[in-house]
Amino acid sequence: MTTGETGKSSGLILLVEDEANIAKLFHYNLTKAGFKCEVAVNGKEGFEKAEEIKPDLIISDIMMPEVDGIEFRKMLLKDSELKAIPFVFLTAKGEEDDILQGYELDIEDYIIKTSSPKIVITKVMAMLKSLEKERGKVVGEVQKAADNMGAKVVPDEFPNFDGYEIKHWHVPFKNIPGGDFIDYIKVDDDRMIVVLGDVMGKRWGAWYFAVAYAGYVRSAIRMVLETAQSLVPSEILKRVNDAVYRDERISEVFITLSVVVIDKTVNKVLYGGAGDLPIILRADDVASIKSKGLLLGFSKECPYTDHEINMQPGNELLLITDGIIESRNEAGQMLSQEGLINLIKGLSGDQNALDGIKNGFIEYTNNDFEDDVSLISVKCL
Amino acid sequence: MKIVEETIGDVLVEIINVDRPSFSEAESLKSMISEKIDAGMNKIVVDLSACEFVDSTFLGVLVSTLRKVTKLDGDLRLVGFKPAVRAMFELTRLFRVFETYGDLKEAVGSFNK
Repeated sequence: MTTGETGKSSGLILLVEDEANIAKLFHYNLTKAGFKCEVAVNGKEGFEKAEEIKPDLIISDIMMPEVDGIEFRKMLLKDSELKAIPFVFLTAKGEEDDILQGYELDIEDYIIKTSSPKIVITKVMAMLKSLEKERGKVVGEVQKAADNMGAKVVPDEFPNFDGYEIKHWHVPFKNIPGGDFIDYIKVDDDRMIVVLGDVMGKRWGAWYFAVAYAGYVRSAIRMVLETAQSLVPSEILKRVNDAVYRDERISEVFITLSVVVIDKTVNKVLYGGAGDLPIILRADDVASIKSKGLLLGFSKECPYTDHEINMQPGNELLLITDGIIESRNEAGQMLSQEGLINLIKGLSGDQNALDGIKNGFIEYTNNDFEDDVSLISVKCL
Repeated sequence: MKIVEETIGDVLVEIINVDRPSFSEAESLKSMISEKIDAGMNKIVVDLSACEFVDSTFLGVLVSTLRKVTKLDGDLRLVGFKPAVRAMFELTRLFRVFETYGDLKEAVGSFNK
């Protein structure tokens, strides 16, 4: 968010300033330093813009028509999401009253309008850097605590399973653990279960439930292994649904799940899903395979089905969550399921689809993701 | 206003005036509707006509509210699907969960049939 490899700064700044010349000057200097900068002319427009673009930092004038800076700050403080965005006041001459009132409104700092561009840029960079550091520290501590609890929702390593290459790519939204979870359960040398889940929601709230759901999925698989005649995705999905539907603590949280069971004893790959995005089979052609199940936890009775997939050596199965197809390019167009299929079709035959999608996706979104991104590749060797 | 709330007869109508409703709109909608459910309303229409896209956080609130009102013998019905919103509902099979209508009048009227 602050300084990239090029030495230039990065980050999105919302500048709220009614005096066109000052806005122009700040916009020029911030953009020149590498920041993206959006301008609004008063607090009302600033609030709407903040909701729309969710900037990394807001710099606002105090005296403005319609809604002034003080009122604008108060509006932001009432919004559960926007109040956390670092806020800086622009003051005319560093007047004491303005500064004191600003600090009462929980601002980070103030900038005097007549400061030289160098001072302004240095101040903005220092602020973003220190906030990023602070944020990283907090995230690191919580992550450490989560790791100590064994509450990992994505494995660190890829599983070994003879005859198959199984890999994943996972990037949590803004580096904060979120609602996607991945699990591999090696039943024995012949059977492997691959699970991709997505809790509806973002960041820590979703992560908490992802941990709970991942536990439910594990115990459902254990129950199926102990009691059911055959290990099939539909049975796993049914058991997870039964359990979560009854659990009042998670009655308002829903989850999508893709389950793939590889069974070498019968030379079969079975897939079942609940509210999940179609999985993709890359063989001679590239095709989507849709499951029929509804998202988990919504309905007590929900039939889940199994799809048998004939995997030949070289074929690849791809499981995805919505962060992949919903992310947009700079023109605001979403990649979409169709776009993803076309991206895979465009890969060369010997290229691993996971790496190809990863590179294509990063290029498409310019590395600016909008949700957790998860992709699992199961390749038959 | 991002979300406009109206009451037509005994039907609560929530009009989502945002291109891409997400986390903050989902939180607002949830608390606005909860207040009305607590006050005894259980017939709800959510108008998505202005939405270019809805993400899974927002969808999650629609689904949890639907589940809540159906337990109270009510329903949450939807209206206004732009292509990307339609695609999202189709991909996740949520069309099987919600009753959907062509326009607001039809959706509100459906409660009185």
